Amino acid sequence: MSAGTPPLSGPPKPQAKALNCPKCGAAIVLRSFGQAETVVCASCHSILDAKDPNLAILQQFEIKTSDIKPLIPLGTRGKLRGTDYEVIGFQRRSTQVDGITYYWHEYVLFNPYKGIRYLSEYNGHWNDISICKTLPVADFGGANYLGETYKHFQSAEADTDFVLGEFPWQVRVGEKAAVTDYVHPPRVLSSEKLDKEVTWSIGEYMYGREIWDSFKLPGAPPEPMGVYENQPSPVAVNVNGIWVTFIAFTVFLLALMAGFDMRAKKQPVLHETYLYNRADSKNEASFVTNIFELTGHISTVEVKTYAPVSNHWIYLNYALINQDTGQAWDFGRELSYYYGYDSDGSWSEGKQNDVVVIPSIPSGYYYLRIEPEVDPALPSIPYTVDVTHDVPAFGIYGIAFVALLVPVVIISFRAYTFERSRWSESDHPPMQLTSGSGDDE
Amino acid sequence: MFRKFYLLYGFLVLGTAAFGQYRGWSLATINQLKNVPKSVRDNPGSYRSVYGFYHHYTGGK
Repeated sequence: MSAGTPPLSGPPKPQAKALNCPKCGAAIVLRSFGQAETVVCASCHSILDAKDPNLAILQQFEIKTSDIKPLIPLGTRGKLRGTDYEVIGFQRRSTQVDGITYYWHEYVLFNPYKGIRYLSEYNGHWNDISICKTLPVADFGGANYLGETYKHFQSAEADTDFVLGEFPWQVRVGEKAAVTDYVHPPRVLSSEKLDKEVTWSIGEYMYGREIWDSFKLPGAPPEPMGVYENQPSPVAVNVNGIWVTFIAFTVFLLALMAGFDMRAKKQPVLHETYLYNRADSKNEASFVTNIFELTGHISTVEVKTYAPVSNHWIYLNYALINQDTGQAWDFGRELSYYYGYDSDGSWSEGKQNDVVVIPSIPSGYYYLRIEPEVDPALPSIPYTVDVTHDVPAFGIYGIAFVALLVPVVIISFRAYTFERSRWSESDHPPMQLTSGSGDDE
Repeated sequence: MFRKFYLLYGFLVLGTAAFGQYRGWSLATINQLKNVPKSVRDNPGSYRSVYGFYHHYTGGK
């Protein structure tokens, strides 16, 4: 064991066995203590029978590219999820989908007491994989394993095109296996059919940083590209549950609105009709109303104005004034109503009535100062002013509704886009789910 | 985590809406003034609204 390499757990300390390749004479290190079926010479790429004391040559392959290099070198030891493991084998596999070749890498990990497990890596996405202990039940749309339902994701043919180190099976380059993946993030259930033998494995998504920390690898792990089939969604939330919560809040909000509406006094405190007469208003148009009392807690005051304007306007400068404190609420309201007929037909715009709700008016004695301004074409016009105390302001509920809705929409959109990216790589892309269901004719 | 946040947030929104309704909040933009002289009641022309220079719509389509 080299200095600085952490020891594997449990006594006695295991020792690697050194042999020589019968083809090229290069040193062959066997780390799996008899558990490997095949071992690959790193020098001449001969696949050797690890069970044979003479390391009989089973296959020799030509390396297609020189840049196939394991991200975790063979012989690296680390503690993966609490157990010490050593990397003893590495293979690159590929599959072709729509004429595009996709590559991924698999690492064989060994612990003399725990046995074999695997790591897979695709575009910076990692999976911790072990062989299933019981047989999953698969049907057309998915599979069930240990009571958990997995959705079918993809079926493809996997090709082994590079191997290195030791393998607990008779590995061959060029070997083709039918693989089917079922997902239930963060887990993936895979079946691999080689000849008549089917192997089921269960994988759990891991982040590159966890792998790097486990094996104390230098540098940083490659950045994950895209969304992987069993990658956990960053929106770690039950979106349907959030919508149910939103609906519950909305019902609560409606109940609140009904409750406050029933509770509101809606007390009329002023109802007057005034006549604007231009001849009378030459000097000073402004006037004040009678005093009215607002009782109870701080509340709203609604001012309704009606004027029978027709192709004219009237503008009213209002000031609600507390006669005792001198506090005033100043606002202006315009009523205008125009209609006519042109090449597009008849049209109309504006209105003859107006409502404004003045917020947070304390109790006390008040009056309105009203200063009308009227279309110069109008010699006179009547207008009615209604003042009501303590009316509900429904705009608050509108804002509350939007405030409740926005986070749910954002989270749903994020979840949807993530899942859409995930399934776009599958045999069931989202486009396929929405098209082809009907006849265009 | 988000569910807890949303529950808390939702109750905060509802609580704010209820408090606002109780306190008579409204969305109208109203200009508040203090210490309007009592003489306004006898002489309404001594007070001028801040909205007095409104440019009126005189159009139609």
